[in-house]
Amino acid sequence: MLFPASFWFGVMLILPLIVITIFSFGERAPNGGYIPSFTFDQYLNLPARFVAFKNTLTLAPIGTITALIIGYPLAYYLVFKVADNKKNLLLILIIIPFWTSILIRTYAWIFILGSKGIPNLLEYVGIENLRLINTSFAVLVGIVYSYLPLMVLPIYVSLEKLDKRLLEASSDLGASNFKNFINIIIPLSIPGIATGCMLVFILLMGEFLIPAFLGGGKVFFVGNALVDLFLQSRNWPYGSAVACSLVIIMLIIVSIYMKFINSKNNREEVSII
Amino acid sequence: MKKNITKKEFLKELRKYEKGSTTRREFLGRTGLGLATAVFSAYGLSSFGSKANANIGDRVVLATWPNYHDVNNFENFKKQTGASVRVNVFGSNEEMLAKLQAGGSGWDVFVPTNYTISTYVDEDLIEPLDLSKLSNYNAGSFEKRFSDAGKVNGKVYAVPKNWGTTGYVVNTKHTKKTPTTWKEFWDLTKTSFSGRTMVHDYQLTTIGNALKYFGYSFNSVDTKELADAEKLLLECKPHLFAINSDYQPSLRNGDAWMSMCWTGDGKQLNSDLPEMTFVLGKEGGELWSDYYAIPKGAPHRDAAYALINYLLDPQVNSKEVLAHGYPSADSRTNALLPKSLLEDPILYPAKDLLSALEFGAAVTLTDPNRAELMARFKSA
Amino acid sequence: MRLYAYLIYFFLYFPIAIIVFFSFNSGKHASDFQGFSLKWYPKLFDNPFLIDAFNTSLMVALISAILASTFGTMAAIGLNNLKGKLRVFYDSLVYISVMIPGIVIGIATLIALVTLFKFLNPLLANIWPTSFGKPPLLNLGYVSLIGAHTLFTMSLSILIVRSRLNGMDRNLIEASNDLYGTPVKTFLKITLPQLFPAILSAFLLSFTFSFDDFIIAFFVAGSETTLPVYVFSSIRRGVTPEINAIATLILTFTILLLLASHLLMKYKNYSNKGSKK
Repeated sequence: MLFPASFWFGVMLILPLIVITIFSFGERAPNGGYIPSFTFDQYLNLPARFVAFKNTLTLAPIGTITALIIGYPLAYYLVFKVADNKKNLLLILIIIPFWTSILIRTYAWIFILGSKGIPNLLEYVGIENLRLINTSFAVLVGIVYSYLPLMVLPIYVSLEKLDKRLLEASSDLGASNFKNFINIIIPLSIPGIATGCMLVFILLMGEFLIPAFLGGGKVFFVGNALVDLFLQSRNWPYGSAVACSLVIIMLIIVSIYMKFINSKNNREEVSII
Repeated sequence: MKKNITKKEFLKELRKYEKGSTTRREFLGRTGLGLATAVFSAYGLSSFGSKANANIGDRVVLATWPNYHDVNNFENFKKQTGASVRVNVFGSNEEMLAKLQAGGSGWDVFVPTNYTISTYVDEDLIEPLDLSKLSNYNAGSFEKRFSDAGKVNGKVYAVPKNWGTTGYVVNTKHTKKTPTTWKEFWDLTKTSFSGRTMVHDYQLTTIGNALKYFGYSFNSVDTKELADAEKLLLECKPHLFAINSDYQPSLRNGDAWMSMCWTGDGKQLNSDLPEMTFVLGKEGGELWSDYYAIPKGAPHRDAAYALINYLLDPQVNSKEVLAHGYPSADSRTNALLPKSLLEDPILYPAKDLLSALEFGAAVTLTDPNRAELMARFKSA
Repeated sequence: MRLYAYLIYFFLYFPIAIIVFFSFNSGKHASDFQGFSLKWYPKLFDNPFLIDAFNTSLMVALISAILASTFGTMAAIGLNNLKGKLRVFYDSLVYISVMIPGIVIGIATLIALVTLFKFLNPLLANIWPTSFGKPPLLNLGYVSLIGAHTLFTMSLSILIVRSRLNGMDRNLIEASNDLYGTPVKTFLKITLPQLFPAILSAFLLSFTFSFDDFIIAFFVAGSETTLPVYVFSSIRRGVTPEINAIATLILTFTILLLLASHLLMKYKNYSNKGSKK
């Protein structure tokens, strides 16, 4: 039963990972590419991409948290405030944007944030020369826009599973709605929050398109650094070192995160999917 | 348009054609009969042309630069040969090289710049051209320095497309005095044009023109000079609108006011929006020429030759020039162009401006320090 | 609260509305509306590269979704009976392949395969019998694309199917075994029908992922062009409303598909209820 999967893991995962690990200790060929060697130069040169790592490691958490803050109330609304017959429709409406090419949706924002879009409207109310496009803000908008559905759906599922009798019992005992929310709803929806945050965070760590389109080549993520290293400077060994470092950083962050979440929430093992 | 040909010249050409020292295309081009032929073949009346292109397949993939062709020519090519042209756009020679080095690019024709051709040959990525399949190519009608740059070790690997310069375009609505130097370009970026300037996503020109700020060579790989350029670039980085080689959309919609700019883009912008002024920095900068080449293992090789040959046809080429505004080095093409264009100061800069320019050097393409500098600049 | 929800829906749909709106633009530039026109739609079908890209995407997505859901289901069942260190090893492989960014998968696959081919191609050329004609030249393309997509989607499928497997009613399987059902029969009659919804959703998710993936294809597609790669290179040279028209068509198609499945479900529920009476 495991044979096809083993084969796939071997050829498409383990082999490539071994190859980039080996390459990351190599040297760049004069015209670009790779020369076998054993050197730590590539890793020692990592500080040259410090800003890319810094941008990714700040905007990824900020994007994740913003998506959570915006997405949670929506999931809450869908579960508790919407009649059952409308629920499915509203849920499908959240999924549909996900089916439209992410490239094109991101491109639409170039227009909306460009000077003929929102800044043009703002000029009527007296705010002039506002620049939105090609800024970190634009990248953040793009991030939240693209990944909001991924945040809302897991939270929706975990809230939906919640036993509503608990809330009734609590209200009967005189708890206010707010108390209910803090003491019952939030703790019980932690698995959903954890899953949503993890999904969004993982995707953001490898993001390339959104900063490329909405950052105008100025907001630089590790993903952009990688694309440039392979498609411009053709520095395979250094690119491999950057890629390996990214994976290692992610594994560390994710395992710490999982430990933390699981210790807070020992009722149910949290998985990332 | 076309210079009138005297009877004597016509007979001379005819004799040459009969003796076989001139090809049919050249003969038609020189005698002005080409225009009539082009009209006929456009309507499918020329059995000669269609037969030659009988089996080239239904597609050809061209990797080229932004805004560098007349799309109508591609449509006519499709009508004549049945092959659709797929255009892939790239903003730097490095990117083209990287794609070919990784293998399986799927390109049939691509457009490298003069200084990169020797590297492609070293890396065994392009093949010598079979000139018998390019009847429209006549090395003699090109200025020698342009046709020679396509030759490596005596073999022709690439044939000239267009040449041009790298300057900058500035929207003069936003400035009282039109700048004339690279120094002003960078100084404006830091001051009144803050947030409105674009530079290429291309190390050769972006670093090269920063080097010009200090009066260094455009091609410098000197550590100290590059360090100066890097300092300037990092200082300007927060003031840039974007780092992107496809700058026309942002300039047209008013997001950007100034951008590094190639000849043809400057001409296209200036024709549509007169306030867009093309400036060649007095300190110098880049003079370049581009070529058509065929990568090794091109999937549609016959169509590749047919497309290059088609685009080299002076009739077609002159339409290209009219559309994209890059000068051609082909005297047969220039003979078909209106005089106003041949005297256009954007296409043909004054001698003193031109003589300050430099061709890119092969070493800048592969120099690891320049590549790293560009990456540091972008990630800063 | 309701206002807030509507605002978010507006936020989600405004860009999409813009895309659809500009697909009817008669002008050449996507962001400069010149007047209403349908001309970009017939143009789509006249563009062989677009049709090709669409077909490539469809085929790659279909094949990798079939492979991923089949192998993923097999692996999930296989893993269920696996204990100890080997289990931990496989589990971490599954998590790693879901977690590694697509861009790293794309790059790693690219350089691994390019290096492998550099080594294999001359070897193949040497041992290839001349009577077979020209030796094949290994290169990036369909196979590498499907391979890389399937890695991610297979792991996703394993996770989905496994969670269903854990929630499954074990008593039925035991009962079947007690009644001397063969393992194959038990699997076909009991396990598979119960797993079916999970397998289906694994298939659909895999298909969606593969169809919309840009970054992996960008690196490993070789000379093939998928729809997202085509769209990316078109956007780079300034979007014409053609791209908007493609997006609008795909969107319409998606909505129709969702609507159809919704109606189908409703119908099924209705007839089920009917039969229970």
